[in-house]
Amino acid sequence: MDFDDTWHPATHPSGAVLPALLAVCDMLPNNSKPSGRDFLLAFNVGIEVQGRLMRFSNEAHNIPKRFHPPTVVGTLGSAAACARLLSLERSQCSHALAIAASLSGAPMANAATQSKPLHIGNAARLGLEAALLASRGLEASPRVLDDTAGVAGFSAFYEDYAPRPLTSPEEELQFLLEDQDIAFKRFPAHLGMHWVADAAASVHKLLLGEQGSEVVGQVQDILLRVPRSKYIDRPFPESEHEARHSFQFNACSALLDGEVTVDSFSQDALQRPDLHALLGRVHVEHPHDNPANFDRMYGEVQVTLVGGDVLKGRCDTFYGHWRNPLTNESLRKKFRSNAGAGSFPERRWRV
Amino acid sequence: MLRKSVTESFGAAISSLNAAHLTDTVVHRSKRMMLDTLGVGLLGTSTAVFSKALQYSQLYKSVERSSVWGGSGMTLPPQYAAFVNGIAVHSMDFDDTWHPATHPSGAVLPALLALAETLPTQPSGLDLLLAFNAGIEVQGRLMRFSKEAHNIPRRFHPPAVVGVMGSAAASAKLLALSPAQCVHSLAIAASSAGAPMANAATQTKPLHIGNAARRGLEAAKLALLGLEGSQAILDLESGFGVFYSDYSPSELPGTDGGCGGGFRWVLEEQDVAIKRFPAHLGMHWVVDAALAARAKLGASGEPDLSQVQKVVLRVPPSRYIDCPFPAMEHQARHSFQFNACSALLDNQVSVNSFSRPQIDRPALRELLAKVRVENPQDNHPSFDKMYCEVTVEMEHGESATARCNTFYGHWRKPLSQEDLVGKFEANASTVLSQEGVERVVDVIGNIEKCPDCTVLRSYLQMSRPTTHLFREHLV
Repeated sequence: MDFDDTWHPATHPSGAVLPALLAVCDMLPNNSKPSGRDFLLAFNVGIEVQGRLMRFSNEAHNIPKRFHPPTVVGTLGSAAACARLLSLERSQCSHALAIAASLSGAPMANAATQSKPLHIGNAARLGLEAALLASRGLEASPRVLDDTAGVAGFSAFYEDYAPRPLTSPEEELQFLLEDQDIAFKRFPAHLGMHWVADAAASVHKLLLGEQGSEVVGQVQDILLRVPRSKYIDRPFPESEHEARHSFQFNACSALLDGEVTVDSFSQDALQRPDLHALLGRVHVEHPHDNPANFDRMYGEVQVTLVGGDVLKGRCDTFYGHWRNPLTNESLRKKFRSNAGAGSFPERRWRV
Repeated sequence: MLRKSVTESFGAAISSLNAAHLTDTVVHRSKRMMLDTLGVGLLGTSTAVFSKALQYSQLYKSVERSSVWGGSGMTLPPQYAAFVNGIAVHSMDFDDTWHPATHPSGAVLPALLALAETLPTQPSGLDLLLAFNAGIEVQGRLMRFSKEAHNIPRRFHPPAVVGVMGSAAASAKLLALSPAQCVHSLAIAASSAGAPMANAATQTKPLHIGNAARRGLEAAKLALLGLEGSQAILDLESGFGVFYSDYSPSELPGTDGGCGGGFRWVLEEQDVAIKRFPAHLGMHWVVDAALAARAKLGASGEPDLSQVQKVVLRVPPSRYIDCPFPAMEHQARHSFQFNACSALLDNQVSVNSFSRPQIDRPALRELLAKVRVENPQDNHPSFDKMYCEVTVEMEHGESATARCNTFYGHWRKPLSQEDLVGKFEANASTVLSQEGVERVVDVIGNIEKCPDCTVLRSYLQMSRPTTHLFREHLV
């Protein structure tokens, strides 16, 4: 549902790692299950490796165009985490990463289709597989992360690639997560949607203030100022997946309802006439100072009313972004609301 | 709107191809490919990589099971059978090669045979043949969408790029999916495509083919369940285009008019090369040239190779097959120098040339030290245009030069049917009983008349008694 965490540079790190680790736990014999601390360590190894890999290229810093990042770094992250939890030897860990490289990379065109979630599922699964194959002695390229002229390794996935060694933990190792926190989403859509949703929500408040209720009748024109990115620029999304990847859809939903929620993407919600009416009035601009980058972008919503008045809303940092993180209470509330939807109420308290 | 039609044209073609479209040439060529693939696959079950993949795959239990080639009664979940059998096919670099370069059959046949075993109605040999050709055709078409694909690859290993798409197409065909489902099979498969070249010439390389077979099969099965991907996957630069720096797709012609109406199989125009020994295709040129040079030297009796002063190889530039002192079997299979020297020393290159003792022998190491490689300007790294020239200079002044433009087994000079079957028999008999070997030759030879292609399953498992013991020891 595109509801999982997002990092900078952009990827969805946890979904590629946690499911694989939990599966490994199930595999391990009863008398050698990992402790919580082992588990936490393995998880962080998986996250750290992803973060390090993404810093090997400038291309990775912007909204992706070619390969979907979770399929590039996620698979290796999962391999690393599983190798850690399985206590593989040093050389086996290297081979796990190299084997995983041959299982990485999926095209962006499948994002905003029903196949997108398989990108994370496969990253988790195949990273685990890579670790299991390495544990049985399978070997792959010992230089897969290096930049070897004429022979592409992991560099195959990037136009610009400049790898750096990971400092040995015996020396000073600082986890990237220490310096760069993660963003948690408040509703299930591409991260970029959160900026326009917050900007549009503030305009919604102003609209309510002005005339009381009916939004559609008041609005003449909607202008969105957002970064340029083809795959989240969809004026008339035709499916739930497309709607989660549409600046226009999310802005209009928030203008109508004051917020975007899980329910904003239901079949009924997708088809509402009010929404379609608003979608027809949207224009999009890509200001030069608005890069396709989760650390620096902003979202601006400018609504011209029928009477001529102009209402503006701007969001530089949405609530849930790493600069304005969700409180623990908000995070727990999100979890309860998600976990509670469809399972017995008593179950969720044990986690 | 025109741009959207490439993907749709593929979906439509895969779905609508039928037996009437198969020409004599295509039937003849594809049957040869199938036989060769089975033979190299059976031989490949003796490799370490196959053994590791098999052990790993045996973690999984399932209701549906498909056969492991060469295993007596051994089965795996279908996608894992496709995986390990595909690995076996490519494990020794002995499988077929096409132009533009890829190894088309290993990605397709293992998936089809595994799938066939699970279908409620056993497909006929003709169904199998048709699905196989659908899988080959899609690969051939996709490779023609870029100039980059015409040269020795640098970024992504071609079987991992087009192979999975071929497997998805073939599996979709055998499952008789609708045109829309065929489109989604391809789209889902695209998210499984691509593996970096750095893992070629490592133990992991065969997994590129094994995974292509497996994940193409998975893609078709997911499409059957209604999973969808991008309907413009082959049209978009951000789709299948991500694997190429120059990507220019074009529609597959409609199949309505049959082969007279604009549709021609790529295999009709362009045959595959069948290898005579298990090494990278480029090695075959250098070996034929070395053998010819050696013959010239040996005009008056056997040449004394300890008297060699220098060996010059004039070959196309390609980093990953230029390996002066290979230490591992994989490296030896990807070394112009090693293959030339083996040919000079032994007057032949065969399966045994790549064993540990042969790699380590002092006479070979000595000769390797005398080799120099040159990359002439006119020698292009393309399987259609390259040549190899070998000059051997002896200490006493005698020298011989020979050049090979087209090795025996290349599409311009195909193996005779006798030699092709001979290769299969030599390979298969390392694993199968004599009866098994003969039955497979017979079934494939008459596949278009075979009512139930899954009979192959039992023949491929008629293993020699010693094979069975060996496998038990491994597991």
